[in-house]
Amino acid sequence: MGGMAGFGPVVEPGVEAAYHERWEPRVFAMWAITAAEGLGAGSGRQLREKMAADEYLRASYYERWQWSNERRLVAKGTIAEGEVDGWVERLRGGEKLPTHADPSQAARVLGIVRTATEELGPTSSTIFAVGERIRVRRIDSVGHTRCPRYVRGVLGEVVGVRGTYPFPDEGPRRGEVEPVYAVSFLSQDVFGETDEPGWVVYLDLQESYLEAA
Amino acid sequence: MSHDHDHHDHDGHEHHPQEKSENELRAEALEALLAAKGLVSAEAIDAVVSYYEHDVGPQNGARVVARAWVDPAYKARLLADGTAAVKEFGFTGFELNTLVAVENSPAVHNVVVCTLCSCYPWPVLGLPPTWYKSAPYRARVVSEPRAVLREFGLELPAEVELRVWDSTAEVRYLVVPERPAGTEGLSEDELMRLVPRDAMIGTAKAIEPESLAA
Repeated sequence: MGGMAGFGPVVEPGVEAAYHERWEPRVFAMWAITAAEGLGAGSGRQLREKMAADEYLRASYYERWQWSNERRLVAKGTIAEGEVDGWVERLRGGEKLPTHADPSQAARVLGIVRTATEELGPTSSTIFAVGERIRVRRIDSVGHTRCPRYVRGVLGEVVGVRGTYPFPDEGPRRGEVEPVYAVSFLSQDVFGETDEPGWVVYLDLQESYLEAA
Repeated sequence: MSHDHDHHDHDGHEHHPQEKSENELRAEALEALLAAKGLVSAEAIDAVVSYYEHDVGPQNGARVVARAWVDPAYKARLLADGTAAVKEFGFTGFELNTLVAVENSPAVHNVVVCTLCSCYPWPVLGLPPTWYKSAPYRARVVSEPRAVLREFGLELPAEVELRVWDSTAEVRYLVVPERPAGTEGLSEDELMRLVPRDAMIGTAKAIEPESLAA
């Protein structure tokens, strides 16, 4: 969404809290549990990006999580298409929530939630050097990418090497491990002259997103 | 999305299905389905909710910042390898990933966003506030950062170098705000109270001790 206009002010009443309704943290917790227990397949973030654009913008944050987690569970075969809808109707009809007892599940899940930290991998060789000028490729990505539109085609400078990470974009090269660079961009190069004094935007970008300038 | 709906209490009180929003009903339907399949217990859901409400939050990041203010060797470790430095306090887990700490100074101010989604270092800051996940913040803080900071009440002099970190990859950022003047005599625990969440995102500065006392 970087650079899109027309969204209005950031600071409005009620935007300080992480959530406003009790179902929202429960959706989040359900995602954490199904992730820790290996009940889903695929990346929630990549799935959320597949929502229809108007639906994505209309849906609240945790609605998107609920939506993507259902799809992760279906993809893994944990649940079948339509089963959640079936339970919506049963609950609407007044049926009580079934219970499942698993006294060790909370500790098991929290053990993973507390400790699973996914660091970038070590770097052995890089194409670009710190201090080098680069240009972000003009990628026309149809699916998931970590390369925001607002820097595509823009000149920047490599300021660091963060480590390595599997190429995340959809397509044949997905999963190939490659360096991730910290890249700086001058605001004039990204947004032109504005009425604000210049600033610097930093992004961490996969090697495949960059070309020599 | 309905935000005018009253909160419902899930802790053993009577349920009124006819009053539930569609979102709440759908969340419960998934809980019901996975309980019926013998896969997820309500106790586990409660435990994870409680963990993110009480055990992780900006108090963790504030402890890291306060330590960095009083211990130059720790600050050096934090700026060199944020992941390892916060692990010294046991801060690990989902969405910490590779943590990079960036330091504010009289000449430099840092602010963090994720324009692609809402990436945020949960183990040190808790879950993100609603505004951090909102379209206006994600869209505007890269393209008109000073105007956005002004909406937070933060006016940056033109000569301050403003750095906007867009955390769209698996790197997470923690801003180390400037230590306020006149805090030399304060303990680490007292200093922690001067470090609000927004100062570690970069939409605020640390709290001046006199304004805390007032």
